[in-house]
Amino acid sequence: MTQDELKDVKLPEGMNPETLSHLMEPRNYGKLEEANGVGVALDEKTKEYVIFYTLFDGNMIKKAMYATNGCQDTVVIGSMFTDMISNNDLNYANDAIRRMNEKLGTMSDQQQVCADLVFRSYKASMQNFENVKNGADEELHLYKMEDSCEGANNEQLI
Amino acid sequence: MNNLFKKKHELWLHINFASFAISDEEIKARLYDFSQIAFRHMKWIAKDVLENNENYNYDRDIMLYKSTSVFEIIKKLQEVTLETMKLYPDDVLGNRVKTDDEYLLEYLNQIIKNSENDKEITSFNMKREWLDKNLAQEQIDALTLFLFEESYKEYELILVYAYMQARTKDLTQFDVFQDLIDESHFHLKSFGNMMAKMGILALPRELHELTYVIKDLEQFVKDGIAEEEAAKEMCKELSDAIKDEELSKFFDFINYQESYHIELMQKLLK
Repeated sequence: MTQDELKDVKLPEGMNPETLSHLMEPRNYGKLEEANGVGVALDEKTKEYVIFYTLFDGNMIKKAMYATNGCQDTVVIGSMFTDMISNNDLNYANDAIRRMNEKLGTMSDQQQVCADLVFRSYKASMQNFENVKNGADEELHLYKMEDSCEGANNEQLI
Repeated sequence: MNNLFKKKHELWLHINFASFAISDEEIKARLYDFSQIAFRHMKWIAKDVLENNENYNYDRDIMLYKSTSVFEIIKKLQEVTLETMKLYPDDVLGNRVKTDDEYLLEYLNQIIKNSENDKEITSFNMKREWLDKNLAQEQIDALTLFLFEESYKEYELILVYAYMQARTKDLTQFDVFQDLIDESHFHLKSFGNMMAKMGILALPRELHELTYVIKDLEQFVKDGIAEEEAAKEMCKELSDAIKDEELSKFFDFINYQESYHIELMQKLLK
């Protein structure tokens, strides 16, 4: 996906064939053994988490993968986001988050919480990469979420 | 990590999802029985692994074999079964598992001998139709989402409870875990068959060890009770949303089963 295409970033609005495809076969799902940044975002109230694996190479994200015990909104956003940022640079990833957040701003609170779990886990993987680079002995970096999926507006993204 | 366990886990899923995909009721039922046997093999292999002071996990390398032909699915199942059988050890358990799988292969051969069995498979066509029901699009969407959420959840529960059951020495806990595993098998079967009927059959996502390596049983049970409450609510919402008496009654039935799961889980807190 190019910067221009990011302007029209797609989100799983409604049960369209693309969303269904991400649901049936989430992209980049599972562990990335060669990751050099591993981050977790945890909703402490519901215990839902996203673990994000990133392989950084200089300013580039060579590969991104994720896993979650969360809801299908989280699965679909994780699938789309990892697809978008793999083989792109860090600026592109930040722009992708901004664009997705802009779109999500028009949707429900629960969708925003699901997206935040994905984005925060990616940020945690960056933090883990930095910490290890600076000599820390850290297997993964954990962010605990302030907002919980529980109690958020229950209308779902898909 | 133990490769035999991993391959047996994959074979269980292959047989289980082949049974969901195939609509012929007799073949479906027989394959489901074989999948339950394969799950028991997993349980025994897990016990063996732990007794040898080794460990296993729920990592897997499996793609659901999607085809429009029963025979193609059966042939793939034969291939995967033969590959897995190469790993069985030459001991009492290994020989039991091997003879079970030899009989599975014999049954798969019997299916292929009769060309009338090679019917079309529609379980992966993504059409999202329920041909004998008149469901509005929003009801189909709600049902689709529910089936994806809950089929993953049931798969997760089967594996998490099995993981804990293999590690407990407490008889009450063992019994409760077995009941919950049995119930979740039934739910996974029900939801898997519904997904196949709608053309959206898909494997549940792989479990990450953060999900199944439980360090605090009490907290896990409390969280699990909250999840069962949420599942009950989803069933109730779906039952209300679906304007079909037969389906609504089915979701009410599942809802009551979830209520009893909470009672079972409360026993783990005593």
